[in-house]
Amino acid sequence: MESKEAWKITGDLHVEHGKGDPFAAAVRATRMPMLITDPRRDDNPIIFANDAFLKLTGYTRDEVTGRNCRFLQGPLTDPAAIAAIRQATSAGRDINIDILNYRKDGSMFWNSLYISPVHNEQGELVYFFASQVDITERVNEQQRIEQEKERFEREVQRRTEELEKALAEGRRANAELSSALQAQNLLLNEVDHRVKNNLQMIASLIVMQSRNIPDASIRQSLTSMLERVEALSAVHRRLYKSTDVSRFDLAEFSRELTRDLVNASSRSDISLEFDLDPVEVSPDRAAPIALMINELVTNSLKHAFLEDRPGKIALSVKRIDGHATITIEDDGVGMRDGDGDGASRRAQGDGNGSATAGMEYGKGSFGKSLVEALGRQVRATTRWQAANPGTRVEIRWPLQPKGPAS
Amino acid sequence: MSVLRVVIVEDEALPAMLLQGYLEDAGHQVVGWATTADEGSELVAQTNPDLVFVDLHLADGLTGVKLAQELRQASRAVVFVTANSRMLPDDYAGALGVISKPYSTHGIQRALEYIVQGLKNPPPRCARPSSFTLSPQLEERWH
Repeated sequence: MESKEAWKITGDLHVEHGKGDPFAAAVRATRMPMLITDPRRDDNPIIFANDAFLKLTGYTRDEVTGRNCRFLQGPLTDPAAIAAIRQATSAGRDINIDILNYRKDGSMFWNSLYISPVHNEQGELVYFFASQVDITERVNEQQRIEQEKERFEREVQRRTEELEKALAEGRRANAELSSALQAQNLLLNEVDHRVKNNLQMIASLIVMQSRNIPDASIRQSLTSMLERVEALSAVHRRLYKSTDVSRFDLAEFSRELTRDLVNASSRSDISLEFDLDPVEVSPDRAAPIALMINELVTNSLKHAFLEDRPGKIALSVKRIDGHATITIEDDGVGMRDGDGDGASRRAQGDGNGSATAGMEYGKGSFGKSLVEALGRQVRATTRWQAANPGTRVEIRWPLQPKGPAS
Repeated sequence: MSVLRVVIVEDEALPAMLLQGYLEDAGHQVVGWATTADEGSELVAQTNPDLVFVDLHLADGLTGVKLAQELRQASRAVVFVTANSRMLPDDYAGALGVISKPYSTHGIQRALEYIVQGLKNPPPRCARPSSFTLSPQLEERWH
C-alpha cells in the first residue's frame, strides 16, 4: 500500500472509530499521546494527533492540526533541548529527550518525547512519528530526592563541622589541663624537694647533737629518731623525683629503704630477700607506711640478730585478693610468747640479751605503738607472728580504701 | 700524716658542720670552711691542707668543678661531696672521687677510712664502700 494513500484512509477514519486500518485505530485509541507530522510540507506541521495527546495538552484537534509542534514550548523550555530536536529532525534521525512543555492553559509538564522518522519504500522521509509520556511526577520526585540529598549533605556537613569544632575544643581543653597538671606536678616536686632538704637538716642536727651525748641509751634513742626522720626524707626524695606526684610506688621504695637501713647498720652478715609487686599508694599514705617499714626493719636489725648472729631479712610487697600486703620477716631470735599480737621479742637466754632488746616489742614499747597507730591511720591490719625461727609482721589493707583515711 | 689537715668548701652550714664532726671524730683536723670557690681557693693557699672537700654547688653558683680544676694545678687532693654526681665531668676534674649526699654516719666513716688509707699508703687496704665513688683515673691504681 502506498503510504500517501494509507494516510488518506486513516484521515477518513477520524469520525468512524474502530473501522479501517487496525493499526491506525490502535494509534487513535491508545492511552499514550501520539502525533504524526509531515516534513514534506512547509514547516513540518502536525497532520495527526490522537485523543490522548489532546487530553494531555488541552487543545482541540483543530487547534493542533496543521501547526508545527513548537507551540508546546514555553519560556522555561531548555533551548538546548529544542536545538537537539531540530538537529535530529533535519538529519532525519530519531531522538529521545526529556523536555519541558506547556499545555493550552499555560501549565507545564515534563515530556519524555520520542520522535522517529518514517520512510517509504523509496527511502524518502515521509513522516515523523512522535510519542509523549508525561513524566512530570517522576521529574518532580527526582528533584525532590535531589533537594533532599542536598539538604542531607548540608546537614552532614554542618554536623561534621560542629563535631570538629567540639573535638578541637576538647583537645585544647585537654592540652590546657595537661599543662596545668604539669605545672602542679613541678610545684609539688619543688615542695617535696624543700621538705626533703629540711628533713635532712633535721637529721644533721640530730647527728651533731647526739655526738656530744655521753649516755649510750639516750644516744640510741636519738639514733632511732634519726632513722625515722631519714625514712620520711627518703619518701620526699622519691616524690620530688617522680613524674607523677599523685602515685607512690611502695615496692621500689621499700627495697631502697631496707637496703639503706641494712647498709647503715654495718651488718654485712645480714642478707636481704625481696619479693616485690608494684603497689601504688597515694602520697599521703606513703609517709606513714614508710615509717612502719622503718620501725619493723630497724627492729629486726637491732633485736633479732644479737651478738653478731648472721641472718636474713625478707621483705615482700604483694597484691593479693584486692589487698596490699607488706610482710617483713626475719630468721632471728623471735618473739618471747611465740605467737599472736602483743608478743614480746625473746631475749637470747634469760637475762642474757640486753633488757631493751628483749622488750622492744613488748606491750607499751614505742616502736610497736607507733606501728599499730600508723596502721590504724592507714586502715591497715597489722599481725605479729612467730616465724620459727624469727618473727613475721604483716601489714595488710584493701587496695581501694573507703573512708577518710584514703 | 696520721692526722689529716682538711678544708671544707660547702655553701650550707649543717652539712659542713656534720662533715667537720665526722672528720674530727676520726681524729682529723678541719683547718677551715669556705662557702665560695674564691674563698676556698684563698683558704687552701693559706692553710696548705692535705685534703679538700668540695661541694659542686657553692654560694657563688655551680663553681665546684672550676675550683677542683684549679686545685689540681696545685696538686691538691680533692674529694667532691654532692647529691648530684651526674653533673661531674668525665675526669672528675682531677678529684679522687665523690662522697654522695646525704651523708649517713656509717657511709661517711667508711668513706673517710678508705680515702685516708688511699692517701697515706695507696692502694687502700679496706674495700671501697658504696658511699664513695672513685674517679676513673684512680679506679686502675687503687684496685
